[in-house]
Amino acid sequence: MTSTKKSKLIGLVGIAAMIFLLSGCYYDKEEILYPHSANGCDTVNITYTDHIELIMINNCNGCHGGSFPQAGIRTDNYDDLKTIADNGKLAGVVNHQSGFVPMPKDKPQLQDCELKQINIWIADSSPQ
Amino acid sequence: MKIIYLPFILFLINLTTVNAQDTLETKKEIKPEIKYTTATFKTTRVVNAQSVENPQKGVLIFLIQHRFGALNTGAYNFFGLDQSTIRLGFEYGITKHLAVGIGRNSHLKTFDGYVKYKILRQSTGARNMPVSISYYGSADITSLTWADQGVADRNNYFSSRVAYTNQILIARRFKDLFSLQLMPTLVHKNLVKYGVDKNDIFSLGLAGSINITKHTALNIEYFFVFPNQMYEQFDNSLSLSFDIETGGHVFQLVFTNAKAIYDSGYITDTHGKWSAGDIYFGFNISRSFRLSY
Repeated sequence: MTSTKKSKLIGLVGIAAMIFLLSGCYYDKEEILYPHSANGCDTVNITYTDHIELIMINNCNGCHGGSFPQAGIRTDNYDDLKTIADNGKLAGVVNHQSGFVPMPKDKPQLQDCELKQINIWIADSSPQ
Repeated sequence: MKIIYLPFILFLINLTTVNAQDTLETKKEIKPEIKYTTATFKTTRVVNAQSVENPQKGVLIFLIQHRFGALNTGAYNFFGLDQSTIRLGFEYGITKHLAVGIGRNSHLKTFDGYVKYKILRQSTGARNMPVSISYYGSADITSLTWADQGVADRNNYFSSRVAYTNQILIARRFKDLFSLQLMPTLVHKNLVKYGVDKNDIFSLGLAGSINITKHTALNIEYFFVFPNQMYEQFDNSLSLSFDIETGGHVFQLVFTNAKAIYDSGYITDTHGKWSAGDIYFGFNISRSFRLSY
């Protein structure tokens, strides 16, 4: 093998090794890996009954409850909320992700702690 | 004519005969040459980012990089010169195309290691290649103890210390005037803070080098991190350097809003605004040693 071909081969093997090595890695999130409370925000065992219901009452049910919930979306009961938690819509709107209408609409984003709790709740498959 | 000149004249005649033969033979063997572009950048770094340049085969480069404190910390702190972070590193050209490097940063006590491979080189002549393209891959490992990170009371993993960076470097030198480089980048962090943070962070780097004199150049580098990947507020890194090349050294006088020198740091972890004076002065010094041919 000529030296140019040899160096090209080493290079390709090297790149392959790097890509392989560099893609065998982890997707850990601290918030989910270590749900311990910090600064008084409860981040352990987040449930609808104990935590999320109150956040919805305080921030969401005004528009998304009652007789004519906005955009046909209901947040004032567990089943309907779990639906939008499961399909990614809840995470998208409260985290102000691109492609979603930011919620609460026309108001500042939810507080750090409330956001944290909702995200943890969704990641835990939204227990009641 | 004196007879003593005869051997000399015979010698000259011999030479011309030999030359004629040579020309005939070499004419058969002349292949069109490929003229490769050299010195797209003066050294292997633009400012913080890698350039398409590699250390030559058999050459070891010793790299000392300093970043001082922020200029806006005022006169009492001598405009940041009282504090400094440092990176010491080596890089070596294994072949004409492949280089490896290793280094240690004082910032978060991070070790870094990398590989850079020249895939294509800009050339004219027999083969026209408009750009140089290289692949660059690195890993950053922070060696701070868990206690020093304030998280000793939980179950910590080694993988959480590591971040990887993959880049394709695409560069073109425009005559002797200036060079441009595009760097699509993927930074992967094994551990990120928030549930909504992405572990794979995409960004696009743009760099340029303007030749001022034969031995000096001005470099600029900017990394645009695409939005909606990281929850916390951050800034895109913008860096300038003034390069001075002498003998076996290249000195780069650096101004940047990035505190870290390693890839995952300056690309994704920069918190500083040029407009607010969060500018870190620093320098890169490289020294080449030829170890083998």
